[in-house]
Amino acid sequence: MSEITKEFSVLGKSIPRVNGADKVRGKIQFAEDLSFPGMVYGKLKLADVVHAKIIKIDTSKAEALPGVLAVITGKDTPKAYNIMHYQATEHPLANGKVRYYGEPVAAVAAINKKIATHAVTLIEVEYEELPFIIDPLKSLAQDEIRIHEEFKNNLHLDDVQSFGDVEKAFNDSHLVLEENYYTNGVHNAFIENHCAIADFNLENGKLILHTNIQLPNNTQRILSDVLDMELSQIRVKAPFIGGAFGGKTEPTPLSIVACVLSKKTGRPVKIASTRKETFYINKGRHPSYVKLKMGFKEDGTITAADVDYIIDGGAHSSWGMIIMWFSAALMHLPYKIPNIYFHGRRVFTNRPSFGAQRGVGGVQARVPVECLLDAAAQKLGKSAIELRMQNAVESGYQTKAATQVRHSEFKKCLEAIREKSGFDQKHGKLPMGRGIGVAAGHYSTGGAYLLFNSFRPHSTANIKVDPEAGITVFTGITDIGQGARTVVKQMAAEMFGVTVNDVNLFCQDTMMCPFDNGTYDSRVTYGVGHAVKNACLAAIEKLTDFVAAGMRLAPHHMICKNGQIVSKFNPKKTIPFKKAVEMYLSSVGSLYATGEYTPPQPSAKYPGGLIGPSPAFGFSAQAVEVDVDMDTGHVKIVNYWEAGDCGKVLNPMSVEGQVEGGISMGIGQCLFEDVAVSENGIPLNPNFHEYCIPGIMDMPEIDGECVESYDPTSAFGSKEIGEGPLVVVPPVFLNAVSDAIGVRMTKLPLKPETILKALGKI
Amino acid sequence: MKQVIELNVNGMNYEVAVDPQDLLIDVIRESIGLTGTKKGCGEGDCCSCSVIIDGDLVLSCITLAIACQGKKILTIESIEEKDGKLDPIQQAYVEKGAVQCGFCTPGMIMATKALLDENPNPTRDEIKRGLSGNLCRCTGYIKIADAVEHAAEQLQKRSEN
Amino acid sequence: MLLPKLEYLAPKTIEELTGFIEAHQGKAKILAGGTDIIPNMLSNLYKVDYLIDIGGVEELRDISYEAGKGLLIGAGAKLKTIEMSSVVQEKYPALQKAAGEIGSPQIRAMATLGGNTCNASPAADTPPALVSLGAGVVIAGKKGKREMLLEDFIQGNRMIDLKPDEYLEKFVIPDVTPNSACRFDLITLRAGVEIDIASIGVYICLDDSKVIKDARITMGSVAPVPLRASETEQLLIGRELNEDLMDKAAEMCASEAKPIDDIRASAAYRKHLIKVLTARTIKETHKAIELSSGTGSNR
Repeated sequence: MSEITKEFSVLGKSIPRVNGADKVRGKIQFAEDLSFPGMVYGKLKLADVVHAKIIKIDTSKAEALPGVLAVITGKDTPKAYNIMHYQATEHPLANGKVRYYGEPVAAVAAINKKIATHAVTLIEVEYEELPFIIDPLKSLAQDEIRIHEEFKNNLHLDDVQSFGDVEKAFNDSHLVLEENYYTNGVHNAFIENHCAIADFNLENGKLILHTNIQLPNNTQRILSDVLDMELSQIRVKAPFIGGAFGGKTEPTPLSIVACVLSKKTGRPVKIASTRKETFYINKGRHPSYVKLKMGFKEDGTITAADVDYIIDGGAHSSWGMIIMWFSAALMHLPYKIPNIYFHGRRVFTNRPSFGAQRGVGGVQARVPVECLLDAAAQKLGKSAIELRMQNAVESGYQTKAATQVRHSEFKKCLEAIREKSGFDQKHGKLPMGRGIGVAAGHYSTGGAYLLFNSFRPHSTANIKVDPEAGITVFTGITDIGQGARTVVKQMAAEMFGVTVNDVNLFCQDTMMCPFDNGTYDSRVTYGVGHAVKNACLAAIEKLTDFVAAGMRLAPHHMICKNGQIVSKFNPKKTIPFKKAVEMYLSSVGSLYATGEYTPPQPSAKYPGGLIGPSPAFGFSAQAVEVDVDMDTGHVKIVNYWEAGDCGKVLNPMSVEGQVEGGISMGIGQCLFEDVAVSENGIPLNPNFHEYCIPGIMDMPEIDGECVESYDPTSAFGSKEIGEGPLVVVPPVFLNAVSDAIGVRMTKLPLKPETILKALGKI
Repeated sequence: MKQVIELNVNGMNYEVAVDPQDLLIDVIRESIGLTGTKKGCGEGDCCSCSVIIDGDLVLSCITLAIACQGKKILTIESIEEKDGKLDPIQQAYVEKGAVQCGFCTPGMIMATKALLDENPNPTRDEIKRGLSGNLCRCTGYIKIADAVEHAAEQLQKRSEN
Repeated sequence: MLLPKLEYLAPKTIEELTGFIEAHQGKAKILAGGTDIIPNMLSNLYKVDYLIDIGGVEELRDISYEAGKGLLIGAGAKLKTIEMSSVVQEKYPALQKAAGEIGSPQIRAMATLGGNTCNASPAADTPPALVSLGAGVVIAGKKGKREMLLEDFIQGNRMIDLKPDEYLEKFVIPDVTPNSACRFDLITLRAGVEIDIASIGVYICLDDSKVIKDARITMGSVAPVPLRASETEQLLIGRELNEDLMDKAAEMCASEAKPIDDIRASAAYRKHLIKVLTARTIKETHKAIELSSGTGSNR
């Protein structure tokens, strides 16, 4: 690898998924595929009330059923938990009170699934039903129905960030626009359900939890807390994970319940959720109600933004605080806004909780900003792309919230979209029913925030080199399908001058792997990349020092290439890598090395100031051309263009997969998906029949590209790609449909019916 | 009452004890131990559990195991070549980046197999129709369609030789 | 998810089938493709003690056509077989389309025409097409057989005119006649697999002077049953089709629809879609007659 030319031999290539062959054979094991000697089965009993006091739970009939080993209730799970180490509101089994339909209230372990399933029906729960509230705007406007006693007006969060003088800026503006926007609640809808197998060892008091979780270390921390166990007594192992998207970051009730049941029975306990249960307990993207006011100078320069932001949190706290402050932080980019006032509120309601989904906080920020920019461009008589270009951030920009944008090729993205979509020739000029829309956005490449109450490194990579296994990398990453294993192996192979196949990777096991902040916020390739690179460099240095001494050469003249350690200046001075390793082991001893990474820490002090700053930002610009059926309201995608800045592309095929997958999830949110609850508080679409995620026939072909880019702050020049493309999709459709029908669309989803209503046809 | 039935899966006969209400997917995964077939929804909506029975692509999560006696059931584990190498469809899925998390992949490959068995040279639209029931949340499907096109070409080449 | 306890019966002949039905009447349901009944039982919509699987009864899968008499389709015929049948493709495109639009390829390979009717979901695809085709059903039991129109057989949401000792044997679809055509169309939220928001079957027969002699318009997903738009039909009969009549028919059809608000669509939107579908499908049907006039094919 040469840093000067930024040319790679293993990175930068479309290396297929390293476990691809096992996946197409159906050979890899997901959590539900695992079984252990003596394993028994757990099942949750879910509440069939929306908001109620639990008066009494009679478990006697269930306990009496032959084959039942244990029955537990909220009394057995007395401690609340949360993804962060504070604001814990949720119990694995409801404690005294049910706050949403489908909340787990009891659980059983039995010798087989049939008995477990039958046993939960025998548990009798006596409730005192309470009035409930499912509309967040009504929820915060009253205090008679309080969902959590400690949160007045059901306001989970209510806080302000203020930068500059918004009022003054509006007064000095040529144009001030204000609009209300709504973004819908959607689900992660990974195809693999939640599953956990807990195995508590009665002899040594140690617990192993096998579960499909993105953040094994954080899960371990939460388990230690709610189970009152030493951290070191708990080992979390994640098998292969069938999609996660942020929805497998929090430990599920069933994973904690499995642990409690295993402790009680001394047997490995497996609990897998059904699709319906997944819809109840999984936490997708928060619905948002945003009133945005923005000011502009006559030339289009943005002067200020005033954001009134309310998100519906559902029943529990979850990722709420991070979501809210993330949205706030995202407002400051990718356009320069000199004055920003952000008032954020998160409201509890009696519906299944919302949490994290790919592009956290992004859809809720991008929809208002990108749609309002479109309206402003029209009022100002400017091209909607030009207006964006004019306000776009460049490398070196510092936001008003003191976040550094160390590298940006955002303008290249906008230019590429303008070029290939012919936007300026089409926008506002297509026949009625046909429209084109543009939108853009960015996303962070891992935050500065550690989910733990600690200042330790966010990522560590350990490397062991020996003849027994070759090169083995140990990291705390989790591959959730995005290809983390592949890219980390590519990195190590690049550094050592070997092939991907020569590298072993050990991850997803808290006992064997170094601590890691986890797989979320697009932080793996960048953050773990640094750690892996540092570990590789350290190991290589040991080897090259040793080899150079033997060859009487300067250590820094030696490089690893094509399975050799070779002099940069004299290719004849070479030794096979494997031979060098053997010699090193005999002469010096074991060859281990470690590398760490912690992102730059934010200096600014304001509420939520830890959330949002990132060492690097990826950018994406998109345009879509649509045909709207003016009779039925259906949106047909005619063309889709994307241009992204993800820094150096480390695996083109993987990057395309992220872009296409992200856009597909965005299209789902725009056109089909909506987590619905009836007036009675009962989820209306907890299945793939009524909750429609896009199928293959819904996906357009995508004309995508990565603009030339290399982020010098990154270990290998790369930046975020997994989330940014998604958050741009909803506004791009809102803008395109607005162009097609001549009515400004401000609410998601864009269901055919909504469009016809906007047209006044129904 | 449990009954012992014989199921022919991937060319082998398995004797399994089932209750009449047992679903094929559970018997394949738990009694026979072939865990390649996946349960994503358990109600016939996601097609991850697709298997081929007597040439038809069907959903094992809404099929009674007991109803499959005397039929030939093929699962993902049967797709690889006789010598253990990847089948051209499997190879295409790997090479073309059609696999991300891999959970929907077995069902997707079974649907592709059924499609290409019936229509060896499908258009892009026919591919999409053939896979219209199989849900994938990772890939955005474009690379899946690419893989099916590529697999069709490879299979055509093979049949010409 | 697990099914509740049940007994499974697999008759191989009609005799065995009728024997099982008689023996377990009131406690049994027929299992055909299982694509509705199994998910419904998994979500505890109903419980039965016996499932009688007709998959092994070959006669029930027959599809046969006889000129002058029409098309007979066994209740156990798979939707995929119907969609692929050359006679259906050639003479009954409305049925082909309805059968081909249901669910995924997997569902079409499993589900049967009889099941789609007997499940009696208001959102089912084939019944509106079949009703417009004038389809009848043959119901059989130990005591003999009876015939009736499909539209009389489906009585409500998940209600059919089937006694506990009977089963649905086959569909009888009248032969094509000259100067007539039948078409089916539907609207869903997204492409591919999904439940209809609204659907429509339109049959029109013209006389030699191009006046509409007969019409059958059947709406799906806008009432508990496939709903004949009888007033619209009366409006059309005796008149020659023109833009004005089509608009009036579309309006009237929408007024005859009795949809409900649900998670998939509002009643108002469904009514609107019926208007759009009516206009589009009448036009398409009329065009089909003009294209085939004199040949009597492409009904």
